[in-house]
Amino acid sequence: MARTSPLMIQVATGDPRPIGRQIVDAVRMKIATGELTHGNQLPSVRGLAQQLMINPNTVAKAYAELTTEGWLESRQGTGLFVAAPRQRLSDAERDRRLDDAVGRFVNDVIPLGFAADEVQARVADAFELLVPRKTA
Amino acid sequence: MPNDSIIETRALSKRYGCKLALDRLDLAIPRGRVHAIVGANGAGKSTLFRILLGFMPPSAGEARILGKDSQQLTPQDRARIGFVNEEHTLPGWMRVSQVVAMQRHQYGRWNQQVFDGVIGHYHVLPEQKVGQLSRGERAGFNLALALAQKPELLVLDEPTLGLDVVAKRAFLESLLYSNAADDCTVIYCSHQMEEIERVADNLIILERGQLRHMSAPEEFTARVSHWVADVPFKGPDPRTVPGLLEVQRLDGLHHYLVLDQDHAFEQFLRASGARTVQSMPVSLDRAVNAFLAKHHAAPAAA
Repeated sequence: MARTSPLMIQVATGDPRPIGRQIVDAVRMKIATGELTHGNQLPSVRGLAQQLMINPNTVAKAYAELTTEGWLESRQGTGLFVAAPRQRLSDAERDRRLDDAVGRFVNDVIPLGFAADEVQARVADAFELLVPRKTA
Repeated sequence: MPNDSIIETRALSKRYGCKLALDRLDLAIPRGRVHAIVGANGAGKSTLFRILLGFMPPSAGEARILGKDSQQLTPQDRARIGFVNEEHTLPGWMRVSQVVAMQRHQYGRWNQQVFDGVIGHYHVLPEQKVGQLSRGERAGFNLALALAQKPELLVLDEPTLGLDVVAKRAFLESLLYSNAADDCTVIYCSHQMEEIERVADNLIILERGQLRHMSAPEEFTARVSHWVADVPFKGPDPRTVPGLLEVQRLDGLHHYLVLDQDHAFEQFLRASGARTVQSMPVSLDRAVNAFLAKHHAAPAAA
C-alpha cells in the first residue's frame, strides 16, 4: 500500500497565478480545511509533476516554499510530510489582524440593522460548521 | 569567458540583404534546466539556431555553444548536441531500424534503454519506413533519437507543432520525466504558451534579433498588469501612457495593458480624468502576447 496521501489538486495554464503559486495555495487550503493532516505524506516531486504534467522544478520550488513557511517538513530519506500545526505569526501580529478583521466586520454589519446577539449567534453557527473539519 | 553558459553570443548579427535577422544579439544561457525562447515570427530564433549549430556563418559577432566557437564544431562537439526541429526531418526512404543503427554507430554515448523508453510511447515499428510515419510518430522518433544520444544540450525548435493532443502529451512526458534529459540543458522554442508555462524554468524573449527579456516566467508575468479605467471621452493620448503595451476601449471603459507600472499608474489615470480605476494581474500568455504585439508589424492605422 502506498504511504503517500493523494494530492487531489489541479492546476490551470492561462491563469494569472503561476503554476507554482497555484500548488502552494492549493496545498495550504487542503491543510487549513483538514483534508491533509499532520503526518500525511505528500507525493514525490516527480510524481506530482507527472500528475499535473509540469516541470518537476516547479513542484520542487512550491514544496520548498511550503516547507519554509512551516506547512510541510521533510524527514531524512523518506520524503515530505504535513507539519504539526503551529502558530506562524507572533502574538502581537495575531492580535492586530483579529482587531482589523473585527473592525471590518462590524463596519459591514452595522448598516444591516441586525441585533448584536443575532449577529453573534450567526458567527457562532459559522464557526460550528468549520471547526469540526479542522480537528477531524 | 565564464564556463557556466552553455550558449553565449556577443554582438551577434546576421544580415539577409537589407534585413537584419539578428541585431548585435548578446545572450548568455546558463547550463542546466529548461529555457524557453519565444518571439514573433521573424524574431531571429531559427537564424540563431542555424548559426549556433554551425549551419551558417554570422555576418558579425561571436556565437559560442558548449564553450566552443559555433563555426568550429567538430563531429565530437556535435554529438553532444541534440536537435529536434518542427519538420522532424529524417530520410523518408530509410527504415526505422536503419536510422537507429546509423545513429547508434554515430554516437558513442548512445543509450538504447533511453531510446526504447521514449519510442515505447509511439506505435513505431522497426521495419516501417520513416516516410510512412505520421507527424506525431516522427516527432516521437526524433525525440527518442535525440535523447538516446545523451546530449548535454537539447535544442527543440517548435517540436510539438501540428501534433494532436495525445502525441503532444506523450512528447512532453518523454521530455520531462524520462530521466534521459536529467543532466541536459533544454532549449525549447515554441509559440505555445500553455506548454511553456508547464515546462520552462526560464523565459527568453527575442524580438527583432535582440534579447528583450530573460527571467523565470512568473517574473515576466509580474511585470505586466491590466488596468480598467472609466475615463471620459477618448482618454489620454496613448503616446503619453507610461509603459503602454495595449489599449482597448470596451463598453466605454478603457483597458490598458502596461509594463513595469506600480500604483503610480493609478494616479496617472486619475489625473487623466478617470472616475474609477481597477487593476489585476494577467496570465503568462496574455503578458507575452501584449509584449510582442506592441512591436508586431501591422498596417499603418487608417
